[in-house]
Amino acid sequence: MSPAIVVAVALLSPLAGAVGCQLIRSPRVAEYLNLAASVIVFVAILRLLPIALHGPYTLLHGYLIVDPLGAWVLLSVAAVYLLASLYSIGYMRTLHTPARLHRFYALFAGFALTMLLGPLMNNIGVYWIAIELTTLVSTFLVGFEKTRESIEAAWKYIVVVSAGISLALLGIILYYWGGSLILGPTYALTWGTLRSVAPHLNPTIALTAFLLVFIGFGTKVGLAPMHTWLPDAHSEGPAPVSAMLSGALLNTAMIGIVRFIQVIDAVRLGALPQTVVVAIGALSLAIAALFITRQTDIKRLMAYSSVEHMGVMTLGFGFGGPLGVAGALYHMLNHSLNKSLMFFGSGNAMHAFRSKRLGRIHHVLSVMPIAGVLWLAGAVAITGAPPFGLFLSEFTILRAGLAGANAWAVFVMLALLVVIFIGFLNHFRAMYFGENPQVAAATSCGQPDAADRFWRVLPMWLALIPLLAMGLWWPSTLSHYFAVIATQLSGDAR
Amino acid sequence: MTRPIFLQIAQVCAVLAIAPLLQGIILQWEERVQRAQGPGIFQPYRDLWKLFHKQLVVPETASFIYWAAPIVAFTCMLTVPILIPVLTNFPLPLSDMGDILGGGLILTLGSFFITLGGLDSGSAYGGIGAARSVMLGILAEPTLILVFVGITLLAKSMLPFVVNHLLAGQSAVYWGPAHLFLVGAFFILLLVETDRLPIHSSTHIEVYMIEEGRILEYSGPLLALLRWASAMKQFILYTIFCNVLLLPWGLSLQGTALGALGAAGGLFLKFSVVGAVVVAVETAQSRLRYYRYQEPLAASFVLAILAIVANQLR
Amino acid sequence: MFAAHLPPLARSLFSLLTITSLLLAFVMLGSRWLNAYLGAFALQSWLIAVLSAAVAYYGGYPELYGIAVLTALFRGLLLPYLLLRITRRLKVDRELHERLAPSSSLVVGGLLVVFAFVVSAHLGATLGLTGTIAVLALTTMLSMKLIGFLMLMVRSEVVSQILGLLVIENGIFLGSQILVPGMPLLIELVILFDLLVVVACLGVLVRYLTVHAGTTSTRDLTRLVG
Repeated sequence: MSPAIVVAVALLSPLAGAVGCQLIRSPRVAEYLNLAASVIVFVAILRLLPIALHGPYTLLHGYLIVDPLGAWVLLSVAAVYLLASLYSIGYMRTLHTPARLHRFYALFAGFALTMLLGPLMNNIGVYWIAIELTTLVSTFLVGFEKTRESIEAAWKYIVVVSAGISLALLGIILYYWGGSLILGPTYALTWGTLRSVAPHLNPTIALTAFLLVFIGFGTKVGLAPMHTWLPDAHSEGPAPVSAMLSGALLNTAMIGIVRFIQVIDAVRLGALPQTVVVAIGALSLAIAALFITRQTDIKRLMAYSSVEHMGVMTLGFGFGGPLGVAGALYHMLNHSLNKSLMFFGSGNAMHAFRSKRLGRIHHVLSVMPIAGVLWLAGAVAITGAPPFGLFLSEFTILRAGLAGANAWAVFVMLALLVVIFIGFLNHFRAMYFGENPQVAAATSCGQPDAADRFWRVLPMWLALIPLLAMGLWWPSTLSHYFAVIATQLSGDAR
Repeated sequence: MTRPIFLQIAQVCAVLAIAPLLQGIILQWEERVQRAQGPGIFQPYRDLWKLFHKQLVVPETASFIYWAAPIVAFTCMLTVPILIPVLTNFPLPLSDMGDILGGGLILTLGSFFITLGGLDSGSAYGGIGAARSVMLGILAEPTLILVFVGITLLAKSMLPFVVNHLLAGQSAVYWGPAHLFLVGAFFILLLVETDRLPIHSSTHIEVYMIEEGRILEYSGPLLALLRWASAMKQFILYTIFCNVLLLPWGLSLQGTALGALGAAGGLFLKFSVVGAVVVAVETAQSRLRYYRYQEPLAASFVLAILAIVANQLR
Repeated sequence: MFAAHLPPLARSLFSLLTITSLLLAFVMLGSRWLNAYLGAFALQSWLIAVLSAAVAYYGGYPELYGIAVLTALFRGLLLPYLLLRITRRLKVDRELHERLAPSSSLVVGGLLVVFAFVVSAHLGATLGLTGTIAVLALTTMLSMKLIGFLMLMVRSEVVSQILGLLVIENGIFLGSQILVPGMPLLIELVILFDLLVVVACLGVLVRYLTVHAGTTSTRDLTRLVG
């Protein structure tokens, strides 16, 4: 099957889903329409993975690119989209907003569409537009509940991210300018062009542009100190939206940073760009550690955990080398699955206890036995404890770091991971086993009906099982896949 | 050989003689714009005449500074015209005593002594006027320095005559953003230094007075000297603004008597233009709260910075 | 490259247009009245449109004439109109509580311009472009970016914040017209369109803010911290 057809299916199905949801205006139909779209997308992306392995294809006059790296990010997007679509069926019914539900699903599918577009974009300018579009669509998802807090979060989200990402546009224009000194005034600035022209670029322009682009897309990724929008947006959106933001959106911006790291590697500026990337990654970990230990809000806890894991990935890409890239990519998928699981669990807990405050959630197991166990397992996993995928990927990144020039960051990372491990799990200890004068039964009101509960527990299973599998066994096909990506990232440049 | 010396003396005398006239014209126009009759344009001369014939009253607390201040201020204002192109566009004897910065220093010295005199009089209003003028001075001074730096970068020289030649000769420089922004910045400074900010009324004695406050305790001939010095300061600043920055044309090239007379006439025309703009600005701009005095100065500062940046990238 | 070989008159023209645009950014920074912001923004957009046309004329890029027209229409008319509608609806006509007084922000803005100039002069020097129009474009681009960020920081009315974002965009657009006039038409069109969508989205959010949060000042948006 040609990549064009697969890509067309993957892009058109959410588009059709979004249009359909908006036109039919029935909440029940919209739920399943969106679900169908997400299933089709997931299957299409699974099909795309082996195709992409055979080298970059360009489609549509060079505006789209299908390469292994993009396909891998698309996989994480599609997986989270599928899980979140399943979960939102159960979750959104409990919000009692049936009149606007079809609009939610239309936006949801549209959001998925914009996120699928980003990694496929070959022209850097259009990639920037795609990232900007994700912001615009998801803003309304964040503000969907129309409470005072959610509107505030939406406003901060769009202003901070738009301002931040405009820095990336400035950097892209500087790159274009640098390239135009060599290639002549008019050319198409694709990833490939930029990479091939990189060795001839003026180093000062290249470095300035890289810093701008890194800060710009870093804002979207949620790296400290540009992360300020992230806890607000993640905590105030509905739980499935939080999962999409954290598990999928951040990755689509991360791929831009990865590709720009590749470009700056080709300019050969020495270790400086890598050091900047590693330092920002370490800073993100540090900020996340501070806020995780003293958090009082369950969803903000998850949001800062996202900052942490984006920092870990940035460290992996910053360390570079086949091992670092493989670890970071593996971490990307693991984190997407795990963070979806965590947000689903938080959504369930919020629904059961009618509060986001950590102090109000207690004796979780007595209120939601199955979902509670899954959530706890996810919490253990997300702190990087052994039997799960994140342990393997973090361990790989640590190994990659020891081999590189920025070995100091490994020790910083290790120390901060321990702090986060303790801080994060301490909150869960209090929620599950903590002594609380109030009786648990007093707050456990509003048991959902069985159908809703099915939709809200199923995606948690679907997220945890692959997570466990990937922790126990690193498939050799994946190793091969990451090796191809790593050689493409470094090999083309040298 | 003697002609340049005569010209130099004529320059100083021209400043001495015409300065009250400029004051009178501006005051009359301000009244006319507000649809009042206004005093005649020769009123400042009559005022000076009257003050010189009045008795002198000295506060008991006053020291010698009280006496020295008007004389120093007046002398300063007599010195500056030697340094700048008033009538001729070439340097005259002693013009090389100082550059733009030197002229600025002497102007500030005069102002400094008036402030001291105001404090020395021991009156509350003298203190208030002195405090306010120093506050404005503190904010205006950096901008003034920046404007000088901008002019220097523009002409690669600090001599006003060189700047005059450059601007009169090269229209590309004249119409460049660097020069235009410097004109804007200096215009605001001109408003500050000639006491025409929109935060107070310059013609009446009232609570928000600045210049009037400093010299409130003076009377008789000393007050006349101060008034005259203030008119001359205004005249000198207008001269620098017109002959160096805004309208560098129309000066005597050879220094003949006819040329000098023509230059004086030209000066009159230029001053009318600038005076009209000042009157228009002062009338159109609504009165502001006193504590917004820093805003025009900040604008002037920004203009000077933009001028310097633009100048680097011509 | 384009900016290196220009007749002196064209250089003066470009220099005047860019610096005046920068000055208009300062007008926005130094004013309290929302209508003054809007007017300055509209005028700035028109200047940028003139700049595009001038680049098209002197550089021989006929497609930039189209961009000039679109810039004037979109940025010079449509965006100010949309913002005017928002301000009318909000019944707010001035910034009430700045975090930094206009005069202080002017001075800070002046220092930011100096910083931008130092950075771009350094960049220009490595390329042997010292004192050319390219360095001026870079300076303006960076300064307007920094001034936009400053506006975002010190202003709290939602409309001022939108305008802060727009100043940033205008700066990038202005710089790109001089630095990379040959940028593909499609990208420029899409960026223009994108801006329109951003403002439309922000407009909807402003309406939500007034209805559900009961405020138009970001000073009141302090629920989410930590």
